[in-house]
Amino acid sequence: MPPRSRLGAGETGTSALSANNPSDDICPVCKSNRYLNPNLEFLINPECYHKMCSTCVDRIFTSGPASCPVPYCGKTLRKKGFHKAFFADLTVEREVDIRKRVGAIFNRRQDEFETLLDWNNYLEEVESLIFDLVEGTRDEKVKAEEKLKVYKEGNRGEIEENRKAGLEEADIARRREKAEKEAARQRRLAAYREEEEEKADAQRTKRDVLDRLATSNEDANKIAQHAQRVILKKTSARRNLTDAQANSNGSILDSGLTINVRGLKKKEAPIMEKPYDPFGGVDLTPSHYTLQKDYDNEWLGNAKNDIRHMAGGYSIEEYYARTMFEAFSGLGVFIEDEKVPEKPVASSTIGTAAAVQAAGGTVNLEDKMELDDVF
Amino acid sequence: MSEDERYRTSTQYRYWSYTPDSLAELRTTTNRIAADRVREAVQSAREAAVVSSAETSETENGSRAATAIQYIKRFYITNSLMTYHPTSILKTALFFATKTENHYFRLTKFADAIGKTTPEDVLASEFLLTQGLRFTFDVRHPFRALEGAVMELQAMANGQIPAADKPWEGREMGKRVKDAHGKAREYLKTSALLTDVYFHFTPSQIMMASLLIADPDLLTWYIGVKLPAEPMREKVMMTLEDCSSILRTVEPTSQPSGDELKELKRLAKKLNKCRNPEKMDLVGLQRAKREGEDGEEEKAIKKRKLEREKSAREGDDLFGPALTKNES
Repeated sequence: MPPRSRLGAGETGTSALSANNPSDDICPVCKSNRYLNPNLEFLINPECYHKMCSTCVDRIFTSGPASCPVPYCGKTLRKKGFHKAFFADLTVEREVDIRKRVGAIFNRRQDEFETLLDWNNYLEEVESLIFDLVEGTRDEKVKAEEKLKVYKEGNRGEIEENRKAGLEEADIARRREKAEKEAARQRRLAAYREEEEEKADAQRTKRDVLDRLATSNEDANKIAQHAQRVILKKTSARRNLTDAQANSNGSILDSGLTINVRGLKKKEAPIMEKPYDPFGGVDLTPSHYTLQKDYDNEWLGNAKNDIRHMAGGYSIEEYYARTMFEAFSGLGVFIEDEKVPEKPVASSTIGTAAAVQAAGGTVNLEDKMELDDVF
Repeated sequence: MSEDERYRTSTQYRYWSYTPDSLAELRTTTNRIAADRVREAVQSAREAAVVSSAETSETENGSRAATAIQYIKRFYITNSLMTYHPTSILKTALFFATKTENHYFRLTKFADAIGKTTPEDVLASEFLLTQGLRFTFDVRHPFRALEGAVMELQAMANGQIPAADKPWEGREMGKRVKDAHGKAREYLKTSALLTDVYFHFTPSQIMMASLLIADPDLLTWYIGVKLPAEPMREKVMMTLEDCSSILRTVEPTSQPSGDELKELKRLAKKLNKCRNPEKMDLVGLQRAKREGEDGEEEKAIKKRKLEREKSAREGDDLFGPALTKNES
């Protein structure tokens, strides 16, 4: 696991410091000062990241490649390679450049991997390579460069493919954004136009009404009512039209979005839920009889034919089911066998005790369950 | 879940089914008198039912009276007649039955219909009866079951339901079923209510037993069709025989004979003498209970208030209120 990269260490926020740092105001090569030259601008070359002013760059490198003027550097630089540093801290600038370079080569995507673990392992490998390039010793750097080169050679095709896919994705995102913006603009325009139309329409009808009032002999109230109706009709028609348009627009937008989505996993159709069973699987099918749709019963003639019996939701099938159920419910229940007499509970029979005394103690107490005396 | 298992979930099975022995144990010597009394109560229940529902149809009336009778029978398993007189309990039982059998009467109207009764009389033993019924109001009658069996038999007679080796030709069987239906109904309306069959048998068995009395051949054939397996059929037939023999003890057409009436009168007189004097006036007891509770509460509140006022008054003293003596 590589240590936290320098990018994450918060060193990009040094712009506030740079204002006070005197080295930012003096070119390390020609020692010219911002105080004397307010337009002083520093450039760097990603070969060695040594800072120098634009005047120096022009002076030294205009006539072709030359070695870096910083003592003991000696790297051969070209003018073409110089650019303004984006970050004030040059080590950060360098790391970002390295990351860009490595990222262009190690551009695998997560959906190429079977498991998340594989993907994370890959990311870690790339990260340690970057760390070697950024912080490593000379040997490590050389080794990492070598690795990078070998990988680039070995996976040329795939790298190209992924690059294209990335571009495509970016393109789609850009197009979608654009389409959304355009749609919003169209909606705004349509709303504006509609409003205008409505206004014009109202004005026109008003004028018509006035004309008719002036020229014809009809009842004034009637004319006004008619005009009102016409306006209402037009507005509702317009609303319907815009609704339909909005719907069709939506579908076009959708079809644009669904093109070329890579790496989506196939969706499985959800399993159909069984209908809810309120009895939790208890089988209530009768065992002794099969219920008929209809029975001949002279007593039920009235109920079958009279609408007043059925109006309240009474169902004759319910009656059939209940009578047949009661006819056989308990036929095989033998109380004599099943209700083995329980041991009588010794209890005080409150209400009866007094009665026994009143009767002269000639009767025994019955066994009864424990009950509160109500009175 | 079979029909039998579903019946076993009912309160009638769980709380109100007894073997003859255990029921006899419950009703000891006192309860033999009680049983006779119940018979008398049942008789008057029928009369009262007729009075109170002159405008309702026969069948509804029947099931309501039947429910009321079962309430009384259940109540007097655990309560003695000498403690609570049947006439007061009967009114409440009938009133409950109007509710459980879905034939609601307004209480004042109900009291008027019975005659010589106030709403307080009906409500006095309301909780008492509810407790005696163990808070279970469901009574399963064999009447609807009989309709079901007869409907199916008719369907078998006219060939709607295929039946193997029918011993009778369609129309003849239809007539047989119709006759058996009427006779069985009579047994269910009278004998089943006046005997203890509701405690010892299930509604389905009571209904089949009444059919067995009405037409033994028809029922034996029917049970044979329904229960072809041997040990079960034997067992069911034996149970039905037992049930029908109990049903036969009270014939539907029989009226209490002169001797029986005389005996009943004598018992009534005896009951009047040996009733528990404390429980005679249920209405009064009910009122006393309600008001007594209220009275107690009011007294306690008043006492607390007085004490509070006293301590507040004395609190103004220079040295504070007197220390209260600990009474305990």
